[in-house]
Amino acid sequence: MLRWLSFVVPGESDVHVEKNIFLGSAVKIELSCRLADKHSHMKILQVTWKKGNETIKHINKTEISWGIQLTVSENRKLGSYTCTVTGEKEFSVVFHLQVPQIAGREKPVVSYKGDSAILICESRSYTPIAWTWYMTNGSEQIAINDSLMLDKYVIDKADANVTHLKILKLTEEDGGTYWCEAAFELGKSKGKLKLKILSLMVPLKPFLAIVAEVVILITLIFVFELYSKKKEKRAEDEKEFDQIEQLKSEESNGVESNSARHRKV
Amino acid sequence: MQQQGGERKEGKPEPPAVMGDGSQGTDRGWAWAAVLHFFLVNVFVMGMLKTFGIFFVAFQEDVGGSSEQVSWIGSIMSSLRFLGAPLVAVVCRRIGERPTSILGAGLVSGGCLLSTQATSVPFLCVSMGLLLGMGFCCLYQAAAVMTAKRCRTRLAFSNAIARSGMGLTFLTAPFTQLLIDTYGWQGTLLIFSGIMLNLVPSSMLLRPVRTQLPPCPKASHEDRSSAPKGEAGALAGHLEEATNGAAQPRSAQDLPSTEAPAEPCSTAAVTTAAPGKAPTASSCPETINEVVKSCRSLPVLKEEKSQPLIDFSPLKDPLFFIFTWSFLFSHLAYFVPIFHLVARARTLGISSMDASYFISVAGITETSSQLLSGWIADQNWTKKYHYHAAYLVLCGVTNLLCPLATTFPLLMTYAVTFAIFCGGFLALVLPVLVDLVGVQKLHSYLGFASFFAGIAAVGGPPLAGWLYDSTQTYACSFLFAGACALLSPVSFFLEPLAQRWKLQKVHVPMQSEAILQGSTGRTGFGCSQTSTSADLQCQSKNC
Repeated sequence: MLRWLSFVVPGESDVHVEKNIFLGSAVKIELSCRLADKHSHMKILQVTWKKGNETIKHINKTEISWGIQLTVSENRKLGSYTCTVTGEKEFSVVFHLQVPQIAGREKPVVSYKGDSAILICESRSYTPIAWTWYMTNGSEQIAINDSLMLDKYVIDKADANVTHLKILKLTEEDGGTYWCEAAFELGKSKGKLKLKILSLMVPLKPFLAIVAEVVILITLIFVFELYSKKKEKRAEDEKEFDQIEQLKSEESNGVESNSARHRKV
Repeated sequence: MQQQGGERKEGKPEPPAVMGDGSQGTDRGWAWAAVLHFFLVNVFVMGMLKTFGIFFVAFQEDVGGSSEQVSWIGSIMSSLRFLGAPLVAVVCRRIGERPTSILGAGLVSGGCLLSTQATSVPFLCVSMGLLLGMGFCCLYQAAAVMTAKRCRTRLAFSNAIARSGMGLTFLTAPFTQLLIDTYGWQGTLLIFSGIMLNLVPSSMLLRPVRTQLPPCPKASHEDRSSAPKGEAGALAGHLEEATNGAAQPRSAQDLPSTEAPAEPCSTAAVTTAAPGKAPTASSCPETINEVVKSCRSLPVLKEEKSQPLIDFSPLKDPLFFIFTWSFLFSHLAYFVPIFHLVARARTLGISSMDASYFISVAGITETSSQLLSGWIADQNWTKKYHYHAAYLVLCGVTNLLCPLATTFPLLMTYAVTFAIFCGGFLALVLPVLVDLVGVQKLHSYLGFASFFAGIAAVGGPPLAGWLYDSTQTYACSFLFAGACALLSPVSFFLEPLAQRWKLQKVHVPMQSEAILQGSTGRTGFGCSQTSTSADLQCQSKNC
C-alpha cells in the first residue's frame, strides 16, 4: 500500500539539520527543504539533492523550497537524502529514511537459576510482519526456532506488536545477549536485550547477614531484659522488706492520725 | 479497715518513690525506645508503600497481568493498613502490644519471603497485599498506642518525631531501584524481608507499661462493693475514685484529661509536670497513672475478661464521631492535593523536573512543620484540638486559594504553605485522640477511627480522579480538598457539648452510688472537693 508523506524542514545556515523518518511499510514520500525566513532573500546559486553520491532530480516547489518525490518500496531506497543549498552561505538538510527501531533494554534482565525469564520486545507504532529471536553464542547469532527446543523456549505470538520470549529452566549458560528482530516490509530491525543469571546464593548472602544481625539484636535485648528483671526483683524484695518493717512500727502509733485525716476528707 | 487504710497510706507513696529514683530514668528511656520503634515503623511501612510503584513495573513484566490487576496488589496493601485496624485492636487488647508488634513484623517478613515464589497475580495479592497489609496494620497500631501510653507529657512532639520517619522515604526509591537492577525483584523482596525482620528487635523494645507493684495485691480487695476502697492512699485513691466514678460503672477505666470530676487531679498532675520540665516532671503523670493502673490491675483484669471480644463502645461515644468526622475529612483533604499537584503543574506548562521540586520541598517542609507543631502543642498553652482545628482551617483556606496559583513561584508558595499546615495537623492527630478519650481505650477508638479513615483513603484517589474527569480541570480537586479541610474541624465545636452530655450520662449513677455509700465515708466525690490536698500530695510526694 502506498501513502503520501511530506516533510518540510527549514534549513539554517552553518547548521547541519537532520531528521529521522521511520517507515513501517512502503510509501510514496515527498521530502522538501525550505529556506528559513531570515535568509529568504539570499541569492541562490545551486540546489542539489543527493543520496550518497547519486544526484536526484528535484522540483522547485516555490522560490525558496525544493523537493524530491520518492517511491520507497524496497530496502534499497532507504538511506540518507541530503539537500544542499549553496548561495552566499551553504546549508544542508539530511533526511534519514530507515526502518523503525526496536528498543531493547539497557538494563539487564535479572533472573535466577532454575527459574524462568521473560524477554519482551515491542514495536507499538509500527506493526512488524514477523519476529525472530537470536541468541548470542560466542560471536555467532543463533536463531531460536520454536521447534528446536520446545521445552526450553516459548515464544508468545499473541499480539503482533509485542513478542515474548520465555526461557524455562534457566542455567548459567543462558545468560548473555539476546536479539529480537522485527521484519518489516522494507527491512529488518534488531533490538538488544541482556539476560543475567544469578545463583540463589547471591541475594541470600546479604539476607543471611541481615538475619544474623537481627538475631544478635534480639539476643542482646533478651539478655538485657532478663538482667533488668532480676535487678528489679531484688530491689522490690528489699523494698517490701523495708515496708513491712515500717508498717510494723507504724501500726502501733500512726493509726489514729490517719483515720482522722480520712474522716475530715 | 483503719489498719488497712494505715497500711495503704504508707504503701502508696512508696512505689512513686521507687519510680522516682531508680527506674524513672529507664522509664523515660523506654519511652524513647517506643518513639524509635514508631519511627522505624514509619520509615519501613511508608517506604514499602511508596516503592510499590517500582515493583509494579517488574510485576507486570514478569508475572504478567494487566495494569489494573497489578494495581490491586498495591491497593489491598495500603487499604488493609487502615481497614484491618479494628481487628488488630482486638488482638492488641488480648495479647498486648509487644506480641502484636512482633506478629506484625513476622507477617511482613513472611509476606515478602512468600512473594519471592509468586507466579501469578492472585498469589501476589494474598502474599503481598493481604499479609503485608495486615502486618503493617499490626505494627502501626501497636506502635501508636505504645507511644501514647509511654509519652504522656510530650506526646505531640514524640509523635512528630516518629512521623518524621515518613520524610526519609525519599531515599527508599533509588535504593529499591538499585536493588532491583542488581538482584531482580525476587532478590529485592528477599532482602526486604530481612530488612523488615529488623522490626522484631525494635518491637521487643515496646516494654509493657509496668503493672507490678508490691502493695498492689492488697489493692485487689477494692471492688466497687467493698468499703475499704475509699481508704486507698489519698493520691492514688482519689484518682482511682474519680476515674471509677466518672467512667461507666463496669467497664475498663480510662483517664480522659477533660472530664470534670477527674479534672482537679489530672490538672494537678499536669501543672506539676508542665512547669520546670525537670526530669522528674515528665515521669510524674506516668508514675501516677502507672500507680493507678497498677493498683487497678487485678480488678481491671477481672473486668476485661467479661468484656466482649470486639469493643463496640466507641461507636456509642459522641467523642468518637467527632474525632472520626475530623479524621476522615482531613485525610481526604491531605491525599487529594498530593495526587494532583504535579499534574496541575504540568497542565500549567511547568516541566516535570521542576514539578518534582514541589514534592521534595513539600516533604521537607512538612517534616519540619510536624516537629514544630508537636513541640508547640506540648507547651500546653491551650488544648491541642484548638491547634488542630486552626491548622485545618488554614489548610482549607490555602487549598481554596490554590486555583489562583498559576505560575511556578505561586505554586511553590502554595506547596510550602500547604505542607506547613498539613504537617501541623498531621502531628496532632494522635495527641488529640488521646486527649479526647484517654489511653486505656485508645486501641478500640484508634482501631475504628482508622477503619473509617481507611474508607476515605480507599475512596479518595478514585474520587479525585472522577472529579477531574467530570470537570476536566485539576482546580476542582483543590477546591474539593479545601472544602473537606474546612468541614473537618467543624465537629470540634461540638466537643464541649459532647463532654457535658457524656458527664451527665455518668454523673447520675455516680451520684446515686455516693448516696448509697455516703455512710461508709467513701470519698466518691472526694476528688473534686479535696483538689487542694490532692495537689499537695502530688507535689510533695512525686515531683
